[in-house]
Amino acid sequence: MLRSRLVTVLTFNEGVLFRTKLFQPDYRYTVNFVDAWSVDEIVVLDVTRPKPESEVIDRAPFFDVVRQFARRCFVPLAAGGGIRTLDDVTRFLSVGADKVVVNTGAIENPDLISQIAETYGTQCVVLSIDAKKTDAGYEVFGSFGGKPTGLAPEAWAKRGAELGAGEILITSIDRDGSLSGYDLDLCKRVANSVGIPVLISGGAGNWQHFVDGIAKGEAAAVCTSNIYHFTETSIKSAKTFMAKAGIPVRI
Amino acid sequence: MIGVIDYGLGNLASVVGAVERLGHEVAVSSNPDELRQADKLILPGVGAFGDGMQNLRSRGLIEPLNNMVLGERMPILGICLGSQLVSRESEEFGHHEGLGWIAASVRRIMPDNPALRVPHVGWNELFQTRDSVLFEGIPNGSLFYYVHSYRLVAESADVVAGECDYGGRFPAAIQSGNIYATQFHPEKSQQHGLNLLKNFLDKG
Repeated sequence: MLRSRLVTVLTFNEGVLFRTKLFQPDYRYTVNFVDAWSVDEIVVLDVTRPKPESEVIDRAPFFDVVRQFARRCFVPLAAGGGIRTLDDVTRFLSVGADKVVVNTGAIENPDLISQIAETYGTQCVVLSIDAKKTDAGYEVFGSFGGKPTGLAPEAWAKRGAELGAGEILITSIDRDGSLSGYDLDLCKRVANSVGIPVLISGGAGNWQHFVDGIAKGEAAAVCTSNIYHFTETSIKSAKTFMAKAGIPVRI
Repeated sequence: MIGVIDYGLGNLASVVGAVERLGHEVAVSSNPDELRQADKLILPGVGAFGDGMQNLRSRGLIEPLNNMVLGERMPILGICLGSQLVSRESEEFGHHEGLGWIAASVRRIMPDNPALRVPHVGWNELFQTRDSVLFEGIPNGSLFYYVHSYRLVAESADVVAGECDYGGRFPAAIQSGNIYATQFHPEKSQQHGLNLLKNFLDKG
């Protein structure tokens, strides 16, 4: 039976780990800490912004991070951050990513999804969707959650899957960093609109939230970017908790 | 020395990292003369079947690989797309001929349970259906990492060493003489994956 996945999402700025997309730097954690984890998959995201005097983002420090993970962690590795073109994808893969995470680049140019799928296969494209609850329902936001798009997450996920995305990573901007639990309704809506696996992200604060993400949110994988979940014992403890709650996991 | 066949598809870093961690030298190459110097070959790859064959063809690798694998009987391990390319043909995005080393075809995963999503992504069992040197020291039913939308259909169970179940059983590990193939990614499957890879490198 396919196991539900527990995925660690690590966000980097200029090669330094950030705790969440809320941009709190944390210098204590490095690649050493993930060497032996029983984590099922790792997602690394670069949120480095251009220097004031330049429009170019220096991704070299982030690519070093990806290289280290690729050579030392024998689990699947997804990487993303500012991917706009197929050349960007090739660069991310060449430093060791197995798949790429696209977000704003796909909103601006949906064909990017099909270009990646046609060249590297659908399993290579994770469509990341950041959504916020508004008065009118859920809405997709681009550019680090700063720019409204007018898209409904369900519709955008469905379109993404049709274009060739292999997985959807749905993040609740409202819950991200809150530790108050995932937005299960958001995830369920998205999961019901596509036939591809959906990863739920944003808000996990305790082990029950992981169980809820799978059982109630209908996610194939639950993500955490909470540093307190980034130890061998916490991952094992989380998985033991999930298994006791009837979720099939790899322990 | 282990030759990793570079035909321009997917990420080779983890395969190379895993083989090096297991104490073997690696040469990543698309040059048949270099690959011929290797003791064993690995055919990795993710992506579409048609592109995979096209890339092998455009690099002039098909005839040399036929000679090395079928003629000189060099041990080879195909991983993921590489495991499918050793078959006769695939229906992924049209009809494509494969390397034809194994009497099998590639078909889309059609789970008998509509709740199962495609692609099949994540950790799932490998049920050992017969003895293989690949499985030494690996408990039956161990979990490996899979990511694919297409799967092999073998013409004879003889070549199948292990199966996975995702809305129906399918061949997940192949062994036919010197030809080995795994649908899952041993280089992404932590300890069991490294052990399986080590078995191929040391004993395959």
